[in-house]
Order: sequence, then structure tokens, then C-alpha cells
Amino acid sequence: MTQDNMTTSDSDADTENEPLVSPAPGSEAIDTDSKRRRTIHDETVVEARNLDVYYGDDQALRDIDIEIPKKQVTAMIGPSGCGKSTFLRCINRMNDLIDSCRVDGELYFEGKNVYDEDVDSVALRRRIGMVFQSPNPFPKSIYDNVAYGLRVQGKTQNMDEKVENALKGAALWDEVKDRLDESGLELSGGQQQRLCIARAIAVDPDVILMDEPASALDPVATSQIEDLIADLAEEYTVVIVTHNMQQAARISDKTAVFLTGGELVEFDETQKIFENPESQRVEDYITGKFG
Amino acid sequence: MATESGTRDQSWFGDTGQISRLPGRVFAATCLGATLFAILTVFGLLVYVANDAFRPATADPRWHLVFFLTLVLPSLALFGYYVARGDGESWVAATALGIPFFGLLLGSGVLLLFIDVLSVVAWLAFVLAVLAAAVVIKSHRRIRPAPGFLEHLLVIVGSLGAVAPAVYFGVVNLPVVPTPWLIYLLTFGAAGAALAGLVVARRRSSDRAGLTAAALVFAAAAGGGLAVSAVGIEPEIWVVLFTFAGVPTALYVESVLRERERPVGLLFPLVVVVGILLGAFLVDTLGFAGPDSWLDYGFLTSADSRFPEEAGIYPALIGSILMMVVVAAASFPIGVGAALYLEEYAPNDGALGAIVKLVQINIGNLAGVPSIVYGLLGLALFVHWGGLRPGIVIVGGLTIGLLILPIIIIAAQEAIRAVPDSMREASYGMGATQWQTIRRVVLPEALPGILTGSILGFGRAIGETAPLLMIGAAATVYTPPNGFFDLFSAMPRQIYAWVGKPAHEFQYGVMAAGVVTLLVVLLSMNAAAILIRNKYQRRT
Ligand SMILES: Nc1ncnc2c1ncn2[C@@H]1O[C@H](COP(=O)(O)OP(=O)(O)OP(=O)(O)O)[C@@H](O)[C@H]1O
Ligand SMILES: [Mg+2]
Repeated sequence: MTQDNMTTSDSDADTENEPLVSPAPGSEAIDTDSKRRRTIHDETVVEARNLDVYYGDDQALRDIDIEIPKKQVTAMIGPSGCGKSTFLRCINRMNDLIDSCRVDGELYFEGKNVYDEDVDSVALRRRIGMVFQSPNPFPKSIYDNVAYGLRVQGKTQNMDEKVENALKGAALWDEVKDRLDESGLELSGGQQQRLCIARAIAVDPDVILMDEPASALDPVATSQIEDLIADLAEEYTVVIVTHNMQQAARISDKTAVFLTGGELVEFDETQKIFENPESQRVEDYITGKFG
Repeated sequence: MATESGTRDQSWFGDTGQISRLPGRVFAATCLGATLFAILTVFGLLVYVANDAFRPATADPRWHLVFFLTLVLPSLALFGYYVARGDGESWVAATALGIPFFGLLLGSGVLLLFIDVLSVVAWLAFVLAVLAAAVVIKSHRRIRPAPGFLEHLLVIVGSLGAVAPAVYFGVVNLPVVPTPWLIYLLTFGAAGAALAGLVVARRRSSDRAGLTAAALVFAAAAGGGLAVSAVGIEPEIWVVLFTFAGVPTALYVESVLRERERPVGLLFPLVVVVGILLGAFLVDTLGFAGPDSWLDYGFLTSADSRFPEEAGIYPALIGSILMMVVVAAASFPIGVGAALYLEEYAPNDGALGAIVKLVQINIGNLAGVPSIVYGLLGLALFVHWGGLRPGIVIVGGLTIGLLILPIIIIAAQEAIRAVPDSMREASYGMGATQWQTIRRVVLPEALPGILTGSILGFGRAIGETAPLLMIGAAATVYTPPNGFFDLFSAMPRQIYAWVGKPAHEFQYGVMAAGVVTLLVVLLSMNAAAILIRNKYQRRT
């Protein structure tokens, strides 16, 4: 917090009349459309209504209402601890794995409340894939990593082809095609993260959740992942948590801003959030006045 | 800060001794002293016992000189060279020596089992039955790739319950059976060939290479068998030892050579083996008498006797091996299952969670319960209540299995806990069920740790004496047990009996030989555990 304040107050003097977000190297101001040029359908696929989440007695999310559009990239930004990961993990019920976690309210996936009694969380996760903050490939071969989801879901026909397509989809095929039986752990960090993306898309889910997928990567690998996300949105709904404002601006169609206390303060077109946010708090957060 | 330097003490670098290191030094020295004392005491005892068992002083000094020159000096020099290079050659050396050593040990154990306990035909029938069941299950999987759970279960139960027994009894009752050595070749030889083929095919990612390797191994097993039988050695000895020692060694050597991973380390086992052979040849031709050891081939292969020179440990050795089979079969699956339940399934909070915590604490307590109490428990449970005969292998094995169960549970729990949660999350995130996650991710990751911990537990089991006294294991048996329901004695029980004999030779010589035998088995098991742990630690 203090760190953030210090750095911004240093730079405030020079950037008084600059755009709200300092431009990424090599790009012009905020270019919300640099990697996304598609027609946009506004069909909702995930929808939260009055969603409250508690860890024991602590409330992590307050009264969240959001409609996440199909086949678009939705970014979630906000200060650390504001509940972005918690929200993401609510969508595919990964929070079920945490004993102390309790969810109130409704969360609809394709019109069905995923917290209904008759919803099997395993079936839900087969439709909603996830990529985690730090790359976590299995200590198995590259091939087996990608085939893992296919195997557990019983989609074992034409495996080789599916594995190849997934690796191509994750822009990793050319780098690994000659060493598919080497351990996934022998790849570099950026390659491992693309392997995890390949693993997630191999089973052809509807939604892909990404929790800071590039936070452990260098700029080159980050840029590769960003390109990939833009491509993924042709076919999948992508929900991505990021701490990197420029990244959110570059790759997302819609942006949700959470603020401390677990509130969803603003949710709108990315361009609008970054150029003309409704709320003063959001503007302060984006410009770095408030962390 | 700089302004004050003038008024401060001139020297800042501590030469005036204001900073006292004395308490720390005293503490470090005390710790070191205590550690050295403990280790040296045990080591001294071992040397003392080994001296009694081998009696090196009875040998011709020139005998010692020959072996010192052919074996000790070259291997020490080579090892010193490895350590000086410090590039991990010593690990290659230890592994290359350890694999054939354990292979030989394991192979000899298997041979002993077949000589005294198992019938070869029953073994063949068993292998074929398991194979048949596996083929049925596999082909069902191929025809119907995604069967329902019930259908799957039905096929498994059916093939294990009907197909396998049918094959088993069919083969056992065949009017003509292949000769024993063909059976060994078809079971062990073929298994070794298949294993080698799989490993090589995987390593070189070429099915051709795998097939070649398998064919080579099988040919070596068959050809070697024929060759040794020509010189009068039984071919089944060759087949078994080749499968257990030769094949793993060859695979290891191949991998080291192919990946050029410090191949100099491979010299070490060569130097050791050549040193032994050369030394033996020299003392034999020059006529230098070796030591008159209590622990010699005769000791390992004969039964106890009234005369110390003829006393041996063979029946107790077999008893211990059989007992360990029961111990492992009983405690490993239950222990790992319990650990999996406690770590992966058991609820953490609420009333049930409290019960689980209580169970957890008590498992810790059970690990510390005196072994004599377990003996009592075994006597009550298996003899008085279960109606089994006291003093038979299965009662001993189950009792000691109970004793090490908590040790195995705790070791397995630790290994399972060490699997990072990110692996589990990755699996659940892919839509895996809890069972799939455990079977495909948690267990394979935890297995090396589970194995290491369990082997250390088995080491504890093989030396237990008090429970054997309680369940009435015989002090001495003259014929090794023929099955799990026979009376038996085990090595520590036999040693205890020897200590009680009045004759000096028993109390010192024979007993020492027994202790060294027991310790060698124990230390080899521990070394195997270390090798397994090391192999997997370096991989990740
Ligand atoms: N397993 C848990 N048990 C208890 N509290 C938790 C748990 N996970 C998160 N929390 C709490 O919930 C709140 C939201 O956490 P969350 O991980 O969702 O934040 P975040 O926005 O993802 O933060 P970051 O940007 O640092 O990843 C925090 O106050 C955190 O302390
Ligand atoms: Mg987070």
C-alpha cells in the first residue's frame, strides 16, 4: 500500500495530464482494442446474484451482481485481498475444497444455479476449466499432462489428435512436438503455463477461468499468453484476474473492479472503465492513488 | 553516522572481544560431543560383534594383505577420486553396486521361497490366472471404453472370481506340466524381458528398440540357463538371479551410458567384483588360509545344532522372510489406506473432525506402545479369539504387522501431505473426481515417500523379538516352515535362544553371526529406502 502510494506520488508530477494508465511500452496510450477485433455477442453465460462468500466469520465477497458475457474476455481487477480469486473459484466451485468457505446467493451458469443441490461440482468443472496463478503441471510427461483431462473425463477417443490440437491452441506445439514424453516440469515457466492452458482447453470447456496466469512470467512469455487469450476468446468465454492494469486494458472486453471489503464497485466495457469510470474510487484505484 | 565515528571506539571490527561467541561455541561443542558419543558407541558395538562373527584374527595375515591389495586399496582409491571430483560419481557408483546387490538378495530370497514353500506349478498357475484376468479386464475396456461403474465392477469381480480360479485349477490339475526351469523362464524370464522392453521402448521412444531389448533379455535368460546347466548349476538359479539382478543392472548401466551421466561411476562395481574374484583366486592358489568365521556359507544354510560349529540360522532366516511377507501384505495396504483416508477424505471440522483428531493423536500414541503389549494383543486377538495355533507364521506376521501399522500410517500420511495442494487443485480443476485425483495424482506422487517410510517400518519389524515371545514362536525349529500356517522361529528369536545357552561359543560366536546376519538384512533394507528416496528426490 505505502509502496504503491510512494511510487505514484513520485510519478504524479510528470503524468498529470497523461491518460489514466501509463502506456505500455511500444503502444499508444490505452489501446483497449489492440488485441481484440471481433464482433461482440452479448449473451450472458455466467451470472451472479446477491452473492456473498464467507471464510468462517469473515466475509470475502459482498452482494456481488455481475453478468459475464459469452465468448468475451472479462477482466477482474482490484487491490490484493479484495476477493477476485474467491469470486473466480466460486464460478467452478473450487471453493468447495475449502472447508471454512460458505456461499450465499445465486451463481448461474447457463441459467442453472451452480449451488443448487442437484448440481455435481465435478460435472460443472468439466464445463469450466481453470488456469492457476503459478504454473502447476503434473509431474507427468507433456503428453500425459494434456491428456489428463481427457482421461479423467473419459474422452479417450482420438487422443493424439486432441492433444496435438490443444498444444497448438496454446501455441506450444512447435516447441514440444519432439519431446512429448519428457516431463512437463522440464519446461520453462512460460512454457509450463502454456502447457496448463493446453491442458485446460484440451477438454473443450465452455469457460476458462484464469487467476493471474502471467504473474510469474517475464514480459515475453506474458505477451505470448496475452496473444493466446485474445485467440481463445474466439471460441471460449475467458474470465481473467490480473493485477496489471495495462494487461486488463489490452486484452479484455469488459472489466470488473473489486475494491477492498469484497465489493464489486464497477463493471462495464473495459474502455469505459479505463477512460471514464463512474466511481471516483475506481478512478483513484486505476490511477494508483488508492491501493 | 559518519559524524559520530570520531567519538566512537577506534576499531569497529570486533578485535577487542566485546562480542562473545563463547556460549555458542560451548553449545556447539556439547552437541557435537553427544552426537559423536552416541554414534561411536553403536559403531563400537557393531565392530565388536562383527569381530566375533568373522574372527578376522584367525586368518593368515597374508590373506588380509592379498585382499587389502586387490579389493580395499583400489576401491578406496577410486572412491576417494569420486569424492575429490565431487560431481556425483559416488552416487552412480553406489547405485551401480547397490542394484545388483539388492537384486541378488531379492533373487536369493525368491529362490529360497520356491525351494521351501511354494510349489512351482502352483506359481505358474497363479501367474497364468492373474494374466487371464487382466486380459479379460483389458479387452473389456477396449471393446467398451466407457463402461458404467457397475459394469466395470462386475467384469473385475467376474474375472478375478471366476476366470482366474478356473485357470488356476485348470493348470494345477494338468496331467503334464513343463519342467521347473521352463516355468521359471516363462514367468520370471518373460517378466524381466517385458519390463526391459517397456523401459527401453519408453526411454528411446522406439518400439523397435523395446522389442529388441526384450528379445535380448529373454535370449540371455534362456541361453544363460542352458549354459549354466551345462556346467552343472541348476538353470532356474540363473533365470531368477538374472531377472532380479542382471536386468535392472543392465537397464541402469544403459541409462547412465546413454545419457553420459557420470559413467566413470560405473567403474566402481567393476573394481569391487574384480577385486573379490582376483583376491579369492590368489589366496586359493597361494594357499593362504582365510578366517575361521562363525558366519559362513554353512551358517546361512544349515539348521541349529547342539554343536556350535554346525549351528546355522537357515530355518529362522526362512521364518523371518515368510513372516515379513505376512507383515508387508497385512500392514502396507491397511496403513496406506488409513493414511489416505485421514489425509484426503476425513472431515476436518465439526464433531466428526474432532473424532478424527482424536484418532490421529492416538495413532501417534500407538506408535509408541511397547512391543510386548502388541505381543499380548496378538495373542488375544489371533490365538484366543481368532482360534489360530500359537507360534505359527501368520500369527507372528499379523501381530508384528499390527505393531508397525501406526509407523506406516504416519510415514504414509507425511508422504501424502507432502504432495503440493496445487497438484490436487489442478486435478479437480480438470473435472477429476476425488478418487481420480487420488489415484492418478496423489498416490503416484506420494509413492516413493510411502515406500521409503514403509521399508524403514519393515526394518523395525524384522528385528522385533518380544511379540514373538508372547505369541509363542519357537526358540528353534530344525526345518524351515513350509507355509504360513507352520510353526516357525525368526532370526531375533533364534539369537535370543543362543544367548541363553551356557556354552561360550554360542553366547559369543554363533550369536554374533546371527546378529550380523540380521543387521545385514536390516541395513540393506534401509539402504534400499535411501536409494529410492534419493532417486526420486533428485528427479524433482
Ligand atoms: N482459504 C481461505 N481461508 C480463509 N480466508 C481466506 C481464504 N482465501 C482467501 N481468504 C480471505 O478472503 C479474502 C479475499 O481473498 P482472495 O484470495 O479472493 O483475494 P484476491 O483478490 O485474489 O487477492 P490477490 O490479488 O492478493 O490474489 C482475503 O481477505 C483473504 O484473507
Ligand atoms: Mg488472488
